[in-house]
Amino acid sequence: MNQILLITDGCSNVGESPVTAASRAWSEGICVNVIGIVDEGVIGERGALEIEEIARAGGGVSRIVEPRQLSETVRMMTHQTAAVSIRQAAYRELRQLFGVASVAELPPERRAEAVERIRELEETAALRVALLIDASASMKPKLRAVEEAIRDLALSLEARSGQSLVAVFHFPGESADAPCALDCGWTQDAAALAHLFSRIRMKGTTPTGPALLQVVDYFRETCGKISREEENAPPRLGGDIGGMLSDIVV
Amino acid sequence: MRRQDWAAISAGCSVTLSSERSVLPPGTVVSGKWNGKTYKLQRLLGTGSNGQVYLASCGRSVCAIKFGSEAAELQGEANVLASLDRARKGRGKAPFLLDVDDCAMDGRHVPFYVMRYVPGTPLKDYLRRQGHERIGIIGCRLLEQLAELHEAGWVFADLKSDNILVSRFGRVELVDYGGVTAIGRSVRQFTEIYDRGYWSAGPRTADPAYDWFAFGILWLHALDGNRLLYLAQTRLPQVRSVEDLLKLVRTHARLRPLEPWMEKAFRGAFRDTRDALYQWKLAHWKARRAGGADISRWVAGMLALSAAAGLSWLAIRILS
Repeated sequence: MNQILLITDGCSNVGESPVTAASRAWSEGICVNVIGIVDEGVIGERGALEIEEIARAGGGVSRIVEPRQLSETVRMMTHQTAAVSIRQAAYRELRQLFGVASVAELPPERRAEAVERIRELEETAALRVALLIDASASMKPKLRAVEEAIRDLALSLEARSGQSLVAVFHFPGESADAPCALDCGWTQDAAALAHLFSRIRMKGTTPTGPALLQVVDYFRETCGKISREEENAPPRLGGDIGGMLSDIVV
Repeated sequence: MRRQDWAAISAGCSVTLSSERSVLPPGTVVSGKWNGKTYKLQRLLGTGSNGQVYLASCGRSVCAIKFGSEAAELQGEANVLASLDRARKGRGKAPFLLDVDDCAMDGRHVPFYVMRYVPGTPLKDYLRRQGHERIGIIGCRLLEQLAELHEAGWVFADLKSDNILVSRFGRVELVDYGGVTAIGRSVRQFTEIYDRGYWSAGPRTADPAYDWFAFGILWLHALDGNRLLYLAQTRLPQVRSVEDLLKLVRTHARLRPLEPWMEKAFRGAFRDTRDALYQWKLAHWKARRAGGADISRWVAGMLALSAAAGLSWLAIRILS
């Protein structure tokens, strides 16, 4: 499962539309979630609308929160998005095997086992989350909360059995050609993610769209192209259900 | 941020928020589609981590029914209770889980499970009203329940005052099994100050030590909540440590005698949960010997409890 988590406090103001970029990401099998972060201010109607539209186009969820809620929100969003994609894939399998649309339609005996398998998949499926952090000047007072949220996410992912990796980007990047900059490549180590932002220069523009596209490129380079059709191959529920071998493909 | 909120905004899942779902009126009759049992709702007991819980009557007895917004989530919880029941079966204890089924409501099928009813007050409120004499006994009973849970392969993981109900006779029950995690898996539902990862005291993977840590925080939170929260807010994530917690323990009159036990709990240094329980009793007995007539009452209670437990263990051995 691949996710981009965009954390921003305002509107994009340069470059391609981030909504288009998000739908491009989604078509390549990467879910885009967005967190708008406000601190004693308002994010503005335009900004709030953009945040919601980016998430919708990206197949993800969005939320506008205060810095102190950031860690919990990051954690819950990541987990919930992963759980939803696993469940959707598992339900497709249920439909093929049993002709039912959901766990609820299975008789109780079968249900217990199906749910157990789903939980196992949630724990063991590979998960890659790329964080894309807005580094415009207004984000400066919120960076501490962002760093803590990153550390906390790494802690949660470290505890999973399945492969769990975090990468961190900030935008805008250092030059005009690089809309965002990579702070830390795929890692599982919470310690590697500490103090990422102590030396970045906070600048004015917010090229959200191009930054998103650059992160999608990064996924493609490091993980290979995953089209939505391939990603839709459901994880096998395995075990006694249908007598199929357990074979996790998400 | 409630889990119901997340369920509602997830793409593709059409779900009614249990908080948005209106409270069902007393007298509502619920019948299970698969098992055919009927229940009459009396009143709403509370809203748990992924559903509403009602007090209901079934025939002549009372029980608690939990309605869920999502069949898979609810089934997950029921699975845990069923597994606990299997583990406890040989010891002649009453089952937690009484029924799992679906019912028809507003033209939709709503999943539910039925469990035994547990009356009581959340721990913090109980201690505020009744004082601190019973900490020892409550701790004992709680550790017993945790030991059973751990021996069945589960970790409670979301241990906190709201999930511990204490009844008038000092009976203690864990409620809301929504966060229970199999040993070895990652903990996903927790409260930050109770999480050992937050304090850099260990991984966020479920094991008995995870519960011991939260158990230690429980008393710190109940007796010294303001200082604990202040500490959490002011320490930078990278420097938060067990030592910070122990400083609080050391500087609190009631908790100081328990410092060695608390340190072991925070560092995960017990052999297993039964060992933690034994040492808890020992720590309170020692504290009593060191002085403090105000704790003698619950020490006496604990000794009586141990004697009763010992006698019933003996009885079971003789009879089996």
